Amino acid sequence: MSEFERLRVVTGYEFLKHIRRKRLYVILGLTLIAELAVLILLPVLMEGYPDNMMVMAAMLTIGPSLAVIGAVFFAGDAIAGEFEGKTGYILFTNPVRRITLVTGKYLASCAAVILLVIFGYAIVTISLLAIYGEVPIETAKSFGLCLLYAGSVVSVTFFFSSLSKGSMGATVMTLLFIMVISGIIESVLVMAGEPYWFLLSTAGDSVAMVYGGVELFLEGVMPHSGSMLPFEIETPDFGLCALSMGIYLVVGLVLSFWISGRRQLA
Amino acid sequence: MREPIVINNLSKYYNKFLALDNLCLKVAQNENVGILGPNGAGKSTTLKILCGLIRSSSGAAYIDGINVADRPERALSRIGAIVETPEFYPFLTPEETLSYLGRLRGMRGDGLKRRIKEVIDLVKLEEWITVKIEKFSRGMKQRLAVAQALLHDPPILILDEPGLGLDPRGVVEFREIIEGVGKEKTVLFASHQLIEVAQICNQVAIIDHGRLLAYDNIDELEKKYQSLEHAYLELTGGSLE
Repeated sequence: MSEFERLRVVTGYEFLKHIRRKRLYVILGLTLIAELAVLILLPVLMEGYPDNMMVMAAMLTIGPSLAVIGAVFFAGDAIAGEFEGKTGYILFTNPVRRITLVTGKYLASCAAVILLVIFGYAIVTISLLAIYGEVPIETAKSFGLCLLYAGSVVSVTFFFSSLSKGSMGATVMTLLFIMVISGIIESVLVMAGEPYWFLLSTAGDSVAMVYGGVELFLEGVMPHSGSMLPFEIETPDFGLCALSMGIYLVVGLVLSFWISGRRQLA
Repeated sequence: MREPIVINNLSKYYNKFLALDNLCLKVAQNENVGILGPNGAGKSTTLKILCGLIRSSSGAAYIDGINVADRPERALSRIGAIVETPEFYPFLTPEETLSYLGRLRGMRGDGLKRRIKEVIDLVKLEEWITVKIEKFSRGMKQRLAVAQALLHDPPILILDEPGLGLDPRGVVEFREIIEGVGKEKTVLFASHQLIEVAQICNQVAIIDHGRLLAYDNIDELEKKYQSLEHAYLELTGGSLE
């Protein structure tokens, strides 16, 4: 039996595990509620939907948040859980290379997160079609960036999962890294006028900024606020953001291969 | 003929704690060997090294002449194992779990389905085969652990306290299963239960503080120390009171 066939088996059954978990359906439900909240509250509170379709598209884009939530829910326990929950005593005594197991788990986690992202973008697409009768081409660009972002966030989560003793530790470390540490550094660099494209939080922001950059993004969430800010915000280069996501994806995965390969189940 | 299990000067440190101290052990083909020893003697550590779950600090462990540390996948393809009290994925059923593990070992199709049914019948989980494992008791999980160890009909069984969590009837059934399959397999079996070891195994290795204190036929040990219990207590520094 080839290692590729084993990879297919691991990926298939790991994905089956995700499909069986209630959390997948809880996140799908919450996604629907979040999007419905935007679609219902906006016309009620602002006398109709924005004239600019791009603003509406950006406001409906919750793909990056879904990617982060999905990553911590599906990938946080992928490696740490085998050690914490003692399931590794069964899995690791099989004649399969650790790298194959980790790769299969990664692909399955990515598939589950991508399922969430597709659901989110399906709502965006249907909503824009219903309201404006068309969907901007930028939605496809945003979707592509979001898939790459999902892959990089899952990879970073795998890195923390391979380091952590427990799933909770991996979840907390991932959220701290992406939402707090990366976010704080981004704010400081933005205010200082320094480049910040290499941060994972910037990569997440770029997914919605493809609709018209920072100005449009701010116009959507805080009308007329752009000129009031005491500093200028430059829209990050999307190519560089994609590059940084690729780097996070590769480095996170390689490190998780290495760490989980050396980890012992004492 | 090459012994299926060879443990050669195996030492293992957990930080500064010496769990195994130059342990040597050879298990001949189709022998059923019990490892006895008090808590912390090094039984589980030995079996975990043989299963590739941990690395030794020095020395080597061989399965069918294959160094486990160098080629773990090849070595693991020859064993079925139960280590500690294993857990299963709660969202899968026994059928799905065994199918997953069987396919990882290259089994497939009708052959795999037939074998899953055989081992499920053997451990008496027929009525639970399509029920999610999250509903299982400790004893039922232990039965499933026995099923997965036997699934691919391995020539070597490595069992670490496999009777743990089983009710009295389950313990008796388990002993019968291992006694039955053990006739054609090499079994290395760690336990605290002297009666269990005496029933299943023909040879016993008594270890303490990571060192091999005795390795002999049970009859020989009983002749020398009056009983297996006496041998165990005398060698491990316990008392009969």
